[in-house]
This record gives sequence, structure tokens and C-alpha cells, in this order.
Amino acid sequence: MKKKVLATLLATAMVAGCLAGCGGNDAASTPAADDAAPAEDAAPAEDAAPAEDAEAPAEDAAPAEEAVEYGSGTIKIWVAENVVEFTQKQVAAFMEANPDMAGYEVSVEPVGEGDAAGNMITDVEGGADMFGFAQDQITRLVSAGAVSPVVGDNAAFVTSENDAGAALAATVGDTIYAYPMTSDNGYFLYYDSNVVTDPTSLEKIVEDCEAAGKNFYMEINSGWYQPAFFFATGCTLTYDTDDAGNFTKCNIDYASDKGLVALKEIVELKSSPSFQNGSSVDNGTNIGAIVDGTWDSSSAQAAFGDGYACAKLPSFEGSDGQTYQLSGFGGFKLLGIKPQEDPGKLAVCHALAQYLTSADVQLSRYTEAGWGPSNVTAQQDAAVQADVALSALAEQLANTIPQGNYPGDYWTLATSLGDDVITGTLSTSSTDEELMTALQNFQDTCISYAQ
Amino acid sequence: MKGSMKTKRAISNTITYIALVIISIIWLFPFVCMFLQSFRSMNEGGGGMVDYLLPKQFSLDSYAFLFSEESKFVRWYGNTLIIAFFVAVLSTMMVLCVSYALSRMRFKGRTVLMRFWLILGMFPGFLTMICLYFLLKQFGLTQEGAIPGLILIGVASSGMQYYVTKGYFDTIPKALDEAARIDGASRARVFFTMILPMSKPIIIYALLTAFMNPWCDYVFASYVAFGYSDSYNVAVAMQRWVWTNDYQGYFTRFCAGGMLIAVPITILFMCLQKYYVEGVTGGAVKG
Amino acid sequence: MGKEANAGSMAKKQNPVGKFFSGVGNDLKEIGLTFVEGDWKTKVSYLIMGFGPIMRKQFVRGFALLATEVLFILYLVGFGWNYLKDMGTLGTVARVMNDDGTYNYNDNSFLILLYGILSIVLVFVFLLIWRVNVRVNRNEEKQLAAGKKLATNKQDLHSLLDSNFDKTLMALPFTGVAVFTALPIIFMICIAFTNYDSTHQPPTNLFSWVGLENFKNMFSFGTSGIGSTFLTVLGWTLIWAFFATFLTYFCGMGVAIMINKKGIKFKKLWRTILVVTIAVPQFVSLLYVYKMFANDGLINSYLMKWGWISSYIPFWSNPTLAKVLIIIINLWIGIPYTMLITTGLLMNIPEDLYESARIDGATGFQMFRSITLPYMLFVTGPFLLTQFTGNLNNFNVIYLLTQGGPQSMALSNKAGYTDLLVTWLYKMTVNDTNYRMAAVLGIMVFLVTAVISLVVYGMLPSVRDEEGFQ
Repeated sequence: MKKKVLATLLATAMVAGCLAGCGGNDAASTPAADDAAPAEDAAPAEDAAPAEDAEAPAEDAAPAEEAVEYGSGTIKIWVAENVVEFTQKQVAAFMEANPDMAGYEVSVEPVGEGDAAGNMITDVEGGADMFGFAQDQITRLVSAGAVSPVVGDNAAFVTSENDAGAALAATVGDTIYAYPMTSDNGYFLYYDSNVVTDPTSLEKIVEDCEAAGKNFYMEINSGWYQPAFFFATGCTLTYDTDDAGNFTKCNIDYASDKGLVALKEIVELKSSPSFQNGSSVDNGTNIGAIVDGTWDSSSAQAAFGDGYACAKLPSFEGSDGQTYQLSGFGGFKLLGIKPQEDPGKLAVCHALAQYLTSADVQLSRYTEAGWGPSNVTAQQDAAVQADVALSALAEQLANTIPQGNYPGDYWTLATSLGDDVITGTLSTSSTDEELMTALQNFQDTCISYAQ
Repeated sequence: MKGSMKTKRAISNTITYIALVIISIIWLFPFVCMFLQSFRSMNEGGGGMVDYLLPKQFSLDSYAFLFSEESKFVRWYGNTLIIAFFVAVLSTMMVLCVSYALSRMRFKGRTVLMRFWLILGMFPGFLTMICLYFLLKQFGLTQEGAIPGLILIGVASSGMQYYVTKGYFDTIPKALDEAARIDGASRARVFFTMILPMSKPIIIYALLTAFMNPWCDYVFASYVAFGYSDSYNVAVAMQRWVWTNDYQGYFTRFCAGGMLIAVPITILFMCLQKYYVEGVTGGAVKG
Repeated sequence: MGKEANAGSMAKKQNPVGKFFSGVGNDLKEIGLTFVEGDWKTKVSYLIMGFGPIMRKQFVRGFALLATEVLFILYLVGFGWNYLKDMGTLGTVARVMNDDGTYNYNDNSFLILLYGILSIVLVFVFLLIWRVNVRVNRNEEKQLAAGKKLATNKQDLHSLLDSNFDKTLMALPFTGVAVFTALPIIFMICIAFTNYDSTHQPPTNLFSWVGLENFKNMFSFGTSGIGSTFLTVLGWTLIWAFFATFLTYFCGMGVAIMINKKGIKFKKLWRTILVVTIAVPQFVSLLYVYKMFANDGLINSYLMKWGWISSYIPFWSNPTLAKVLIIIINLWIGIPYTMLITTGLLMNIPEDLYESARIDGATGFQMFRSITLPYMLFVTGPFLLTQFTGNLNNFNVIYLLTQGGPQSMALSNKAGYTDLLVTWLYKMTVNDTNYRMAAVLGIMVFLVTAVISLVVYGMLPSVRDEEGFQ
């Protein structure tokens, strides 16, 4: 045992030495070891300090060596660009509160939630030790072995602190694989109240935009936005997974009358001259209304000025004469930990991940970057409750299904279906049979992804 | 008769002028747009795309951002400059060595080698990306070490691009070499003191083309430097501003950055245009 | 078609192959002869390389050979063998999880394959050097027997700058290409016969040999196969390369003729304006142009403001429009390049050819058709061929403009309507980490390029008839 600890210590020390030798230039790293202050003045981290984790790595180490028991080394974190600085600050606070873990030098890099999973899978060893990602990537990460399971007390932390949907999103099979960071990964309607008079009806919104010569944005060729229509008419599309991240069964009924109504509505929407495919305020022009998420709220405020308004998604009148409320996915952003070889480092990573997803940090992340919390305590905060965008989202979330796990190919397939509408392969002049064939094709392909 | 010829020529010249002016407008239009948009204030459209051309409010916001602490643009620019400089110098040296050996010396396996390299060149470069990544990783030349790594990749296989330079060397009469060798000069001496000084245009051409490549290298650079923003080059860093949703409202910054890259390179290119033309023309005819 | 061309190249290769084997035979004979005829120093050299030269005081050669042998043995014993022995299975023990939540990494199929190949290559290289070692001994003995003096160490070193200067010059470039181009290509060809994809990703999981399964998948045309997608992408790749090459070529020539026209002023200015697109890095110019033509981009919004169109033109989302637009934008990139090349060549056409044609009353177009065009096609034939193969693999223009999109349910594996084989290959590598199919696709790209090059190269007039125009 002792030998092994010594070996890992030596190894990590060597790695650290190497990295320090050839690095030495990162503005992004936190020199935690240098300015580690006494623990008492680090109030914010107190409740999240992972006392229960301390037992994990080297129980038999003497108390005098407490600072050494976690070893030292570097921890690399990937988060989205707009929370890099925030994360750096929080990491520094964490290290101040936990001087025994301050042997680790933490660097934070901006890697988007979309790219993180891909990069992790390309080279697990070269990837970050902790990384933020959108939940749709989790099965891919699990089956590639690029994310390590969260077990025991840590798992209990995830389930007790976060809302049920968030905990479910971090689960594959029966195992939890990540720490939820936000549960704002949903979408709703931003609109310019000077243009749109009635945000509850899709037909009215499109009409108003057409009249005003403005654009209505919705990304119908994205597997994330597209189900808003299908789920609205009562279709289902979910997958069952086993522990290894394999998809075992697909539950889908797109190729039905309900699916046909939904697809017809998408085709109908696309035929409007004011329709644009897209979901980003700043990449759009001349916007009248847009289906988008909370991350764009400041951009939307800037774009709409005094006309800025939010609402849950509108409802539409289907080809069968019934009215349907647009639905969609409620999604989550997660923080994953790379499989580690060193128990000390693993413990530090879990402690840090808990801290970064704790109620206080989620709340301040909301204040600084506008990310809606997944932590139940933070969700009860007055400021969060009062947020226009977040309350529109909350209202919409009542109509959505929590986003489960989908195979990577699903997203491609959904893009293809959306592109077929956008390119006019499927249009208002298509017959019911043609649309049905497309849906049947879609459904069969979805089923073929599950083995 | 003569008069009608003249008017005919005048008419055809006028048409040509009109065509040339239209062509020039088309060619410069995107750059003018980009130039104008790079000066749009961030308060206007949030720095994203807008549906009009002339900014209502001129400002240097985007440029200020690029040079501020907030952005690592200066570092990325420096990285690219370093890569471009070393790749240009080292790969030109490689190409010159190969060209001289293949043009002047007849050694065993020469034709086999040339044919083998030709065949290798027919494989798409992206195919081997994953393999090169792990090769570089063995030497510690990814992420933190991505810059020397990219230089190594840029230089290592550059010997295969010998065609244009060898073609140029072939046009230098061999009699010159032989005369010098009779006077007792070694091959190396001939190479360094005679052939190289005579090849200034082609050396400049090789330097220039090699210097310009790394500015566009998005694919491999992003693959090698992923997750370590200090090692990015401008292409890797800036394509995110257009493609990734994490960077909304970076459109004017993209334009500004694009101008900062395009202007110096264009000026350099214009100054050395003569040599470039000589190089491509020679290369094209020799195939 | 592919098969025929392969057969053709096989027939051509028959000769070199025969030569190769007779060469090997002769070599073996000489090796045996050297051993029988050689003195004891030479005989020891068969085991201890460079022993003979060292004993004959040829220290530079001797120690170089000895050092090679020592290093090779050290490499093989200390490093190479560990990987070489697992080449058959590509590893048997995957990553395991310990009780405390940490992991132990074990066999890494990727490194086993990579270093295995490297070791095999090095074994061959070593055999070659060993052969050189035998020959050096034989030559030295012959020279001594003839009463000649052996070259001194100094002369040996000096020859590297003179008679052996080629070896000095080629050493580094050759090694560079061997390690960073040839080795990876051999590696990726091997990958085409394994199941290396996102679910078999080292170091977490192992991958193993699967034989021809990937090739079968590429050419299966059912719902699960990607055969039909491959053909669609291949078709567009060929169409694209054709238009991108010839349209650019003729338009570029046209612009060059306009600029060179007698009586046109500011020739240099026109040229300089056009050349801007070569100078500005493509990732800047093409990404900007892509945004300009977006559905909500500058072009559409101005056309709508001026009332020319009532709804936006789906430049990028309509496959046909996207294809046409890509070809047009490629003109924007490509014309200046052809313009520069043809300008110089146009001036080389003897003026008296035109003069006599003019006297015969030929119009400008007739002169172009019967004088300019044949001359230009003749001279620039090889250039057109390299342009064509270059366009087959023109990643930047396609990827920076459309990223291969729009996609369709009719196409599998993320392919889009404007994908070329290479951009599809790139997507498979980067987005899907589906290396097994990417490797197969890479081999296909190679075959297409090689076949076209071989066939067209044989048909080029300037190759068939070198004296043609002189």
C-alpha cells in the first residue's frame, strides 16, 4: 500500500514538474497552492466541503501529512467560454476552503459543450479531467468509456440536491455518470411585443411577422427543437439503455396520424416567407420572434429593446382542426469526470465537481451568466423565480418531456428530416402518402439504432 | 475603313473596361463588406449579423476587443506567425535539398522514390489525422506542445512538394555545374555558392506559399491543439466565432480579426507577386 | 472501370516485379558468395556488423554500421517486441476499473498496431543495412586484393558533401516523409481491416481485425449499407471536380485575354485586384461569403428590400442551388489563379500566327478556337490534370461554405448533398470517430485519384508527343 502511494506520488510529482517546466504561461490556471488562505474565511464553500470524501484515498495517512494525502498534480476543466472566468473564481474559492487539496493546479479552458464530448472521445487521455457537456452526449461518452461513474455518497448528493429530471438526465442504465449543472436547457419563445400581438398562437405569430416583414426563427432541422411539434400531437420518441450505454429499445410512433399532423404543421410553417431556420439571436437578422433558450436572454433583450418579451411556446391548429400546444425537450447541462488512475486525484475531482454544482455556486452562476439552476434549493431563490425568461421556461417545461438518452445518429437523422422540409423535398404540395413514407422511413431508421 | 476599325476597337475596349470594372467590383465586394462591418458598434445588433451593409454607428469596439485582455487574439496571431515563419523557412530548405538531389544527381532508387512519393500524394491528407495526432502525442507535441508539433507536421513531409523547384533547377544548364566541378568544387559547394544564388525567385516563391498555408490550417490545427486555447492558431480560434453557438455576437469581431489577418498577408503577397507568378507559371507548365 | 484499370496497371507492373525478384536472387547469390570467398573479418561481420571495416581501419563506416545494429537490437528487445508480439490480436486486456473507482489502463490496440507496423518496417530497413554491410565488406576486400588503398575516414566523410551529397540532402526529407506520411498511411490502410470506431476506442476499449467486413459494408446497397450514399457522393465529387476545373480554366483564360487586350490600360491594377482572393486566407473569405449568402444574410435581405424577390432564396438549403453557388464561388477563388498562369503563356504564342490568321480574315473567336485554345490545352495539360485531382480533394471550398449540407434522409452516415468524398471522410473522422469506414473511404479516394491520373496522363498530348508544338 505504502509503496503504491509513494509511486503515485512520485509519478504525479514528475508529471507536475514536467508540466510546470514546459507550461508556465497559462493565464487560465489558478495558482491555488500559493495563495491558499486559512479555511475559515472561505465561507461560501463551507456547506459543500466534501468532508465525506476525505476517507476515500489514503485513510492510514498520518494527520500531519494531511496536505499530502490527495497528492498533487494538475486538473484540467473544460467549460463554455462565457463561464470560464466564473469557474476560475469558484475553483480558487474551493482551493482556499480546502487547503489539503490545494496541491492540484487547476486550469480552465473554454471548450464548448458541443465539442467537449467529441474531443473527449477522440483522446480520453488528452482530454480534460472535468468537462461540461449537454446531456444528449452522455450515452456516447459512457459507451466510449470517457466518463467515470458517480457512486456512493456522491450519487446520493446528485439525487438529493437536484430536481428529478436533472438526476435522470445524468443516469445511464442504473448508474449516475455526471453532476447536473443547469436545468435550463429548454426552449421557449422570445418575441418583439411591437410586432407580435398574440404570442399564444403560432398562426398569429407568423401572420404578424409576415405583415411586419420580420423573421420568425425556429430550428426545425435540429433533433432538439423538432420534437416540439411531434410531442405536441402526442407522439413519443424515447430510447431504453443498458448500463454500458447501449440502446436496447426504441419507443416511437411518428409514423401515425399524430405524426402526420405534426409534420404537416412543420411543412406549413416552413412555407411562410417569414420563416427562418435558426435558433440564435445574434446570428439572426430582423427578428420578430424566435424559439430559443435562456442563454440568449441578454442578446434578445438587446435585439428587441423595449419590445422584449418571453412566453411559453405557442399552440397551433393542426390539419385535423384540433389545437395543439407545442411541446419539446427539457434538457440539462452536466459536469462529467474523466476516468482517473490516481485515487487522490479522483477524490479531488469529485469534491470539486460537487462544489461547482452546489446550490450556492449554481445560484451565483445564474447571477453572473444567467444559467438556470438544477439544484432544488437554488431554484427556490427569489431572483430565479422572478426571471422573465426563466419563468417562461418553467411554464414551457410543464409541457415538455425530460430529455432522455438518444443515439448520436438520431440527431443526424432529425437534421436530415428537417433539411428535407427546408429543401422542399417535403412541401405543402406533398401528398399524405409521401409524408407518411418519410415518417415511416424515419421511424424505421430510429428503431434500427436500438439493438 | 480605317476609321471603322478604330471605332470598332474603341467599342470593344469599352466593353472590356466595363467587364473588368464589374469583375473588380465582384472580387472586392465581400472584402469591402467585411471591412465596413468590422467597424460596426457592438451596440448595434449586438455584434451579430445584420441585414444592412453600412454601420449606423462607426466604432473600434471589435478591434478593441481583439487587443483587450479578454481575448487571446494577440497570442493566437503570434502562434500563427511563429508557425508560418518556421514552416516557411524549414520546409523551403527541405524542398531545396530534395530538388537539387533529384535534379542534379542520379542515384540508385531515384525514380522508384519519385514514383513512391507520387503515389503517397494521392492519399487524402485527412485520412492520417488520427495517426499523426497520436504520433505527435508520443513526443508530447499536442495541446501544450501543439505549436512545435504543427511546425513539425508542416515541415516533415514538405519534401514531397519538390515539383516546381526541381523544374526550375532543371532549367539551369548543367554545363555550369560541370565547369565548377572540373575546377575542383564539391557538389555541396556548387549547391550553396552557385545554384542557390541563381534561384532567388523560386526560393521566394517557395517561402511565400509555405508562409501562407498555416493561416488557413483549421483542420489539423484544431485536431492537435484541442482543449488548450493557448495553442490555437487564428483559424481554429476564429472559426468558432462563426460556427459555434457559444460565441453569439462575435460576427463583427470575426470581421475585424479577418481584416487584421488579411491586410498584412495581402500586402506581403502584393510585394512578392512577381515571384509568385513566376513560380505558378513555371510549375503549371512543367506539371 | 476500377477493375480494368487495376488490371492494366498490374500488367504494366509485371516487368518491375520480375526484375525485383531476379534482383533478390542475385543479392542472395552475392551474399552467399561473399561469405564463402571472404576472409574471417568479413565472416564475423555477418554477425557483428561493421567488424570488417573497423579491422580495416575504416572507422566511420564500421562504427556507423555497428551502432545501427546495437540500436536496432536495443529497440527490438526493449520496445518493439512488446508490440510486435500482439499484432495478431491487437491486445487482449482492456481497461479495468478498480474498487476505489480508479482505472487501470492495459493494452492499447492503437499503439500495438502503430508500433507493430513501425517495427516491421524497421526490420526491413535493418535487413537492407545488413545487406549494405555485406557489400561494403566485399568491395573493401576486392579493392585490397587489387592492391588499391581504401578510402580514408576523412575521405569517407568528405564524400557526403560531394559524390554522396544526395544522401546528405535526402536523409532528412526522406525520413520525414517515411515517418509522417508513409507510416501513417500504412497504418490507416490496416485500420480499414479492423473495427476501430467509437465503440472500440483505445485506450478504453480494444479493437481487432475484422477482415473485409468494412469493404462489404461500403458496397452493400441495402438499408444498413452505405453503398448508395457512396455512389451519390462520388457522383457529385466527379461533377464538382469537372466544373471546378474547366469552368475556372476557361473563365480565367477569358479574363487574362481581356486584361492583355491591346489598348487596355492599368493592366497591373486589374491583375492586383483579382489576386486579392489568393492572398486572403480562405477561412476568412469563404466563411464571410457563406454568411453573405445565408437565408437571412446580406444578399437575401438586400434583394428583399429592393423588392426583387418576395421571399428569401434558399442558397444553401436547396441542394441544387447550393451546388451551383459553390461552383460559382469557386470561380471567384479560382479565376485569379488561372489568370496568372495563362497570362504568361498567352504572351508566348508567336504573334505572327495571329497576324497571318488576321490576313486570312479570321474573327477573334475563330483565332481563339484554332490558335489560342489548342496551344494552351497542349501546354497546360498536366496542370489541368493536377487541378482536377486537386479539386477532387478540395476540402476548403466545400467545408467552409456548406460543411457538406444540406443533409437528407436519403443519405446515410451524415453525408450531405454537397459533400465530397474528402469532406465526408473528415466528418467520419472528426464527428463520428468512425475510423474504420473513414479508412475504407480514404482508400477509395486514393483509387479514384490514381485511376483518373493514370488514364488521363496517358492521354495527354504533351506526354504522348513531346515535340508537338515546336
